[in-house]
Amino acid sequence: MLSDITLGQYFPGRSILHRLDPRVKMVLVLAAIVLIFTAFNFASMGLVVALVIAGMLLSGVPVKMYLKSMKAILFIVAFTSILNLFYGTGEPIFQWGFMQITMNGVYRCIFIAIRITALILCSSILTFTTSPTQLTDAMERLMKPLKLFRVPVHDIAMIMTIALRFVPTLLEETDKIMSAQKARGADMESGGLMQRIKSLIPILIPLFVSAFRRAYDLAMAMECRCYNSRMTPTKMKQLHMAGRDAVAIVVVLVVIAGVVVGDIFLPSLA
Amino acid sequence: MEFIKADNVRFAYEPAEGELPREVLHGVSLEIKKGEFVALLGHNGCGKSTMAKLFNGMLLPTEGKVTVEGMDTADEETIYEVRRRVGLVQQNPDNQLVASIVEEDVAFGPENLGIEPKEIRRRVDEALKAVDMYEYRENAPYKLSGGQKQRVAIAGIIAMEPDCIVLDEPTAMLDPRGRDEVMETIHKLNREKGITIILITHYMDEAVQAGRVIVMDEGNILTEGTPREVFSQVELLKQHHLDVPQATELAYRLRSYGCGIPDGILNEEECVGALYALIRKE
Ligand SMILES: Nc1ncnc2c1ncn2[C@@H]1O[C@H](COP(=O)(O)OP(=O)(O)OP(=O)(O)O)[C@@H](O)[C@H]1O
Ligand SMILES: [Mg+2]
Repeated sequence: MLSDITLGQYFPGRSILHRLDPRVKMVLVLAAIVLIFTAFNFASMGLVVALVIAGMLLSGVPVKMYLKSMKAILFIVAFTSILNLFYGTGEPIFQWGFMQITMNGVYRCIFIAIRITALILCSSILTFTTSPTQLTDAMERLMKPLKLFRVPVHDIAMIMTIALRFVPTLLEETDKIMSAQKARGADMESGGLMQRIKSLIPILIPLFVSAFRRAYDLAMAMECRCYNSRMTPTKMKQLHMAGRDAVAIVVVLVVIAGVVVGDIFLPSLA
Repeated sequence: MEFIKADNVRFAYEPAEGELPREVLHGVSLEIKKGEFVALLGHNGCGKSTMAKLFNGMLLPTEGKVTVEGMDTADEETIYEVRRRVGLVQQNPDNQLVASIVEEDVAFGPENLGIEPKEIRRRVDEALKAVDMYEYRENAPYKLSGGQKQRVAIAGIIAMEPDCIVLDEPTAMLDPRGRDEVMETIHKLNREKGITIILITHYMDEAVQAGRVIVMDEGNILTEGTPREVFSQVELLKQHHLDVPQATELAYRLRSYGCGIPDGILNEEECVGALYALIRKE
């Protein structure tokens, strides 16, 4: 089922991560993602991984959900890390025909696996604990300076809100259309690549038609509720920074310092 | 004074290229008073939804005018004031919810009106309590049932503190239980908050519960009055391929077979009562 995808879902809750200011959370998660890609030895990487695990545990969302969000990309992780195994430089420790594995390749393989996994987990922490509205709200505030350059920040945020709102609805609809077409004898599981791509057409066309109708209805409903892109609306949920935000910032700063020190003083492995 | 007034309203949709405009409403005049519960009936394509969109200025009449508390819906200065006062709930609840969290969706209207955050919070809580969805305030709409989603949509309108809600077949996509929930909510709002209700529906048993019924036919008003007045004109309604409540239909047929059953029966109870009286007499 398509609706099994947990990536990008929100789990309402009261954990400390849920209550962090979404702006702070967003910046910190971005910082963590940058860190993941700048940790070049096991000590630094260990520090980042510890941060990510701490985040997962503090979020109060069952670990099972994080594992589920990993399921969809397990293949990509396996594929890229195995590919990296053969791209190492230096002395080969194993050779078979033109393929060779070096110590550097092994490290690369491990690091890339950790990196992609941590990247997905990091973004899951953010989306699991932040409602889509908070997310777009935070984005809107963070992008506010761009207004000076006439970037329509509020419109972009509204588009994001609606997109996020309709992901589950359209997934559900895709499921329905697929069942409907299967019931009419459509075959989507066999045949070559071209055949399979062709078999998507009877799914995509109804999906688009219905998406346009939904868009029309939604625009109408928004206007009925006095939406006007030229006005700046107020917000029910004001964003406030609190003590916990300061603590979170300090924790991440410490990890950044740790990673930098580790990178400077320890040999770079990958 | 009348709250909404349509004065000789004609309307034609923008025609497709190369086609002539086809008039959908041919001079409709009607008045809605504050606090009323009006049901708007008519068969498919007779212009009910068009009428609904004219009430809050989503569409503007090609001729004639619509006023809400004296404000012309064609006046751009007051259009947001009109839309705040007259909320519109549509058929498909899925396509009316904007945000991914129930309470944030309900806050959408008041936020657009530029209301203070604290006041928005109060209104959102009150609106959700009024439709009995308060405990779902942090849920995602797509996990709710159809009836629950439709109630959230209604709450989104209530949070703007309107004087009137126009509902365009709000129960058409719902199961019987969802229908009951929504109808109960609408009646409660009318009774307890004095909100004017204009209910467009194909269900005659819903129309019977209204204070006044307006029947449309091909862009004109066919007849109007209390449910009893309207549904005693069974022949007129039949001529125009319109339904009557089942109990009314039964009484009508019995009468046409020469049964001495009285006119103007609206629901099962009345029908049973009349039949019982009839049998006892014989
Ligand atoms: N956007 C549009 N553009 C052109 N014509 C339209 C449009 N919407 C409706 N119409 C036409 O206007 C007429 C009245 O439509 P309307 O939707 O008001 O009917 P309705 O009474 O609500 O019907 P239903 O009971 O099916 O909802 C119909 O003939 C319809 O084909
Ligand atoms: Mg309609």
